[in-house]
Amino acid sequence: MTVSLDNGPVVAMPAWKRWMRSPYARHTGFLVGAGITVLFVFVALIGPFIAPYDPLATDLQNVLQPPGGEHLLGTDRYGRDIASRLLWGAQASLFVALAVGSLSLLFGVILGTLAGFVGGWTDRIMLAVINILLAFPGFLLALAFVAIRGSTLTNVILAVTLAYTPRVAIVMRAVVLNIRPRQFIEASFAVGVSTPTMIWKHVLPNCLPPVIVVATVSAAFAILAEAGLSFLGLGVQPPAPTWGNVITDGRPFLISDPWISISAGACIAVVVTGLNLLGDGVRDTLDPFLRNQTGARALK
Amino acid sequence: MLRYAIGRLLLVIPTIFGMVVLAFFMLRALPGDPATAILGEFATPQALERLRSSLRLDEPLLSQFYHYVTGMMTGDWGRSALTRKPAMAEVMSVVMPSMALAFASIFVAIVIGIPVGVLSAVKQGTGIDYLLVALTIIGISFPVFWLGLITIVVFAHTIPLFPAVGAGAPGSLLSQTHALVLPAIVLGSGGAAYIARLTRSSMLEVMNQDYILVARAMGISESRILFVYAMRSALPAILSVIGVTFAVSIGNAILVEVVFARPGLGSLIIKATFSRDYQLLQAGLLMLAVSVVLVNFVIDLLYPIIDPRLRR
Repeated sequence: MTVSLDNGPVVAMPAWKRWMRSPYARHTGFLVGAGITVLFVFVALIGPFIAPYDPLATDLQNVLQPPGGEHLLGTDRYGRDIASRLLWGAQASLFVALAVGSLSLLFGVILGTLAGFVGGWTDRIMLAVINILLAFPGFLLALAFVAIRGSTLTNVILAVTLAYTPRVAIVMRAVVLNIRPRQFIEASFAVGVSTPTMIWKHVLPNCLPPVIVVATVSAAFAILAEAGLSFLGLGVQPPAPTWGNVITDGRPFLISDPWISISAGACIAVVVTGLNLLGDGVRDTLDPFLRNQTGARALK
Repeated sequence: MLRYAIGRLLLVIPTIFGMVVLAFFMLRALPGDPATAILGEFATPQALERLRSSLRLDEPLLSQFYHYVTGMMTGDWGRSALTRKPAMAEVMSVVMPSMALAFASIFVAIVIGIPVGVLSAVKQGTGIDYLLVALTIIGISFPVFWLGLITIVVFAHTIPLFPAVGAGAPGSLLSQTHALVLPAIVLGSGGAAYIARLTRSSMLEVMNQDYILVARAMGISESRILFVYAMRSALPAILSVIGVTFAVSIGNAILVEVVFARPGLGSLIIKATFSRDYQLLQAGLLMLAVSVVLVNFVIDLLYPIIDPRLRR
């Protein structure tokens, strides 16, 4: 008797079908998070074009208008249209999130790979420095940086990147240490693959997913931190339309006209929830052994 | 145990030293001249000169660093540029309300977070679990100062249960506790969400272990399994997230203090920032950072107490 190993002709599955079968398509949180994130990016890109008013145009005839009517979300104390300011603000938040996410990913991956791959004293010294930076609360580090260097968009981005790069780096280092003793790395050494090629072709692709999760969290944190710094008066300076500035603008009118602060805060809460859901979804579908490593440290 | 404690303590010292070094170079990395930054652009050259020599800015960097570090060690943290009082005394005068807020918020976070996480794990896959998981992810995504503003509107204005601002009457513990309730809940909510998420995942992990199955087979009551056998294994992971939560809270406390207009290190840091009082700013930041390190040291000491495997 023979056992047939033939399962019929191999047909390449279309990409969408393959995606439908992936664990991501069945993860509600991931789908909701991805939906919110895509919507956020879309709104941020077209926001300036669909904004009904100039976000900086004051109209002293129509200050503190309630939502509805001519101004969808009302106006602030200078008669500026809240909806337009929020639409423009989405762009600022997207920029901060993208910049911090990619910069902390870039630096974190470089530093983490270096520490994990070179090992020895390089690793020990880098780990010590990373641990000192990690002992500083992220927001405190960002605040100190901006307080000293001044409140500009660039400094806000650099500050949050400084706070989050060590978190990416420590996860990257852990993953590299895990990958390094594997046989395929040994095998590629044996066949004489150069170190840069090996890192680029074999190590990075295997390490990136968990690190991207941390970068997603850092992007979410960046939006919160930008808003927090703006609230303290240390973020992007008014009258620039950012979500944090809109919350601050509404603060004196919290009791009489709460919609100003509430609408801006709701934007932040929804987008950050979306990014966190996205990160969680990716992490859940990855190797479960990484869950704790990305969890406890990275969320700090 | 003693060796472990000493080992941990030996890790605390270089960490704090590293922070001191970091603070030094961050302030020295100021673009331009710190003396001009403090006194403003229209200061006379004589005043600038005097300030430079009093801050030792005219000495070489290494000598500045030496004096700075030895000063730090002997409790001389410089003087506030504004009040001329020692920065350390200024910091110490507001440390109590800040610590009260931080510890009250951790208390709130633990008291809410652990039961929510356990409930979520026990009811895994049910509607309650999904609701709690959704709530916790929203909980870590809220801007904390926004939550503070909303609670002020709701619980201090619409339903006037708590004072909106301040830290209560000095000397009256009741009034101070009353004023602490809202800020502690606001600051603790994010921590509660972190703790609940981690409690859920570590409880789920533990509940799949064989020894839990054996305990069930032996007919031990479910509540005893949960809170005596499972909880004990999950505690070290929960403890570590409490340490992380404390660090996050210390950062967010600055925002909460400003929202509720409470005196404290956060308010001091913000005031120092706007008045360009860099000595005071540096002292305040260091104090917060050191408190994080010390709390994590205490948490490190708790590990062997709750986990016998670490007692060697």
